[in-house]
Amino acid sequence: MIYVVLFFLGFSLLLYVLLAGADFGAGIVELFSSKENQEITKKTVYRVMGPVWEANHIWIIILIVILWVGFPAYYNILVVHLHIPLTIMLLGVTLRGVAFVFRHYDAYKDKSQVLYDNMFKFSSLVTPIFLGTIFGAMVSGNIMLSEQASFKLVFIDSWLNVFSILVGLFFASLCAFLSATLLIGEAEKGNEKIYIKKSGIAVISVVLIGFITIAYGYFNNIKFVMDFVKNPYAIIAMAISALLLIPLWFSIKNGRRIKSRAFAGMQVVLILFAAIVTHFPYVIIANSKAISILDNTAPESTITNLGVTLIIGALVILPGLFHLLKSFKMIKILEQ
Amino acid sequence: MDNLDAARLQMAITLIFHIVFACIGMVMPFFMVVSHKKWLNTKNPIYKTLTKSWQKGVAIFFVTGAVSGTALSFELGLLWPEFMKHAGPIIGMPFSLEGAAFFVEAIALGFYLYGWDKLPEKFHWFTGVIVGISGVASGILVVSANGWMNAPSGFDYINGEFLNIDPIKALLNPAWFTQALHMTLAAFTATGFAVAGIHAYQIIKKRNVELHKKAFKIAITFGAIAAILQPLSGDLSAKDIAKRQPAKLAAMEAHYETKKGAPLYIGGIVDEEKREVNYKIEIPNALSFLAFGDFDAEVKGLNDFPKDEQPKVATVHYAFQVMVGIGSLLMLAGIIFFISFKKKKWTNKKVYWLFFTLLAPMGFIALEAGWIVTEVGRQPWIIHNIMKTKDAVTPMPGIVYSFYMYVLVYLTLTIAVSWLMARQIKALNETEY
Repeated sequence: MIYVVLFFLGFSLLLYVLLAGADFGAGIVELFSSKENQEITKKTVYRVMGPVWEANHIWIIILIVILWVGFPAYYNILVVHLHIPLTIMLLGVTLRGVAFVFRHYDAYKDKSQVLYDNMFKFSSLVTPIFLGTIFGAMVSGNIMLSEQASFKLVFIDSWLNVFSILVGLFFASLCAFLSATLLIGEAEKGNEKIYIKKSGIAVISVVLIGFITIAYGYFNNIKFVMDFVKNPYAIIAMAISALLLIPLWFSIKNGRRIKSRAFAGMQVVLILFAAIVTHFPYVIIANSKAISILDNTAPESTITNLGVTLIIGALVILPGLFHLLKSFKMIKILEQ
Repeated sequence: MDNLDAARLQMAITLIFHIVFACIGMVMPFFMVVSHKKWLNTKNPIYKTLTKSWQKGVAIFFVTGAVSGTALSFELGLLWPEFMKHAGPIIGMPFSLEGAAFFVEAIALGFYLYGWDKLPEKFHWFTGVIVGISGVASGILVVSANGWMNAPSGFDYINGEFLNIDPIKALLNPAWFTQALHMTLAAFTATGFAVAGIHAYQIIKKRNVELHKKAFKIAITFGAIAAILQPLSGDLSAKDIAKRQPAKLAAMEAHYETKKGAPLYIGGIVDEEKREVNYKIEIPNALSFLAFGDFDAEVKGLNDFPKDEQPKVATVHYAFQVMVGIGSLLMLAGIIFFISFKKKKWTNKKVYWLFFTLLAPMGFIALEAGWIVTEVGRQPWIIHNIMKTKDAVTPMPGIVYSFYMYVLVYLTLTIAVSWLMARQIKALNETEY
């Protein structure tokens, strides 16, 4: 049953990265758009994300609940040592969520829109940066397992370091890439060009920041990176992900929006896979040792119960979610 | 402020705000679907305008509730890591089910908000009903997790270890039913009176009276029924607490001396130094009766509990008085509303609407007071008789800064949401038919 639970953990992580990632990306794309394009993006984003964005963000709640119920010891390390970036990320999630709703549900569309827009755009950038930073911190080898050292060493240096922040920036550009690619297919006629350009810029930043991150880790002897570049699965996944850029380019050019989305999604899945597979199940690499998510899991009865709950929950939720996505034409496959 | 106090205050402040957002997001969908149903049945456009206006309120509160809830789900671990490490596997069931219910709610809300004129009428309406039902289910499940902290069950506690975990038994802990019932009714009462009060004020101001009267009637009907039922649920809760958490009951009643035929104190000023209550109204034997259904039953006083196992008496006692006082007032108001069905001329008087306007915030004050009773009354325990709150707090120092940040964020949010609501109402009053 532990594998069922692990499956759902991975599944929620994947969907969170893809769906919420595209969602964060929308704000980032908007942030880096000219004034005129911002308005277009705002409208398109609302049309596309409006009905589903809240559901997109619930995956992190599912994720966190699975972690604390099934893997309490592992979760404990995260919440104690990464308290500060987690809090900042939460602040970002909060501001972003309310800004998104405020700007569409405020009864009067006046000057206050500027405030909501800015709140939305900046928190859309900050939140994924911190999400990425949290992952970076988990594998950077900077988490001090002893709490006896100074405050700075234990609670700040664990995440406020170049490598973790590079990972954060990498994730944010990945989000922008996902979103820009998604928006190409959703834009009204004539506006596709905006997003094709954005998608291109995002690809360049993903590749560039990714390269810098790995190079930095390699030259600074960060264990995760050293193992990453030697892990055949990770290398293969990264290579395929890079190669997929070619069919992605062609499908965008030919206006195949479903295909282009599938390729972009696959690329992100492969990157995520590469990041996890290198060290799984040791997904925390602290200063003194690596910690396995499978150590000190919850007792058998809890895991069984959690697994069953998740299966039943999935049976109820997934069809509903699918129907929602379908109804609002997020999934166009069925209509083609 | 030490770290423990800061963490407790941060938790309190987040919960105090989240409860308001969550209750409204959970109860308002019911008002919305009733109005929607009336629109479908009567095709009176006022109901459609009202439904659409309420739906905006639901959307705004749902999201503020959802994001503050997301923050809370992390805060449990961020502030109380030791608690979550042990409690997580035991009370995972209500939380994972709550996650599922919440998910269903978000999906249904997506359908509802964006489904106007796109979905078949009846299906569209029904998605609104699902929003309401899954919202209430979420609420009940979260309260069940809280119930477990008051009535820990579903495990054996042997030498400091939690063994033989039974998550279903933990979900159905002895406190879940009384607490969930009390909270659900409280949510309906508080939201019903709050929404009704806002519309009552619009009626006084003679703005769009026909619409606001319809809105008032829907909201107050829910609120009044819940308020009238609430004392029964309160009685169940009191009897339950008397058995399971006698120290909490003693603190609620500021009852220091163990006594047979214990009196009930109404009001009064608690002197925690001298351990006595001054200026109170005393009803002989009433506490024994309310707690055990027997006028001569013995009620254990605080003096018979170890000093370090007593909650803060004054806070709990005052909060309890506020809750019961307002609860009674709202019950009375509920009865007045139902009488006004017969005595139609009451509703022509300004004082009638003024009365309900003034009651708008009362339900929420009572609801918050009730949570102060149950949470402060549980102290010093985070898991009753098993783990103390001070042993669960995060080792990270400086929580006080995070506390200030949360106060700032939630105050701003509250002001923003209230301002948005005021604008909604203003826009609603400008609607022409």
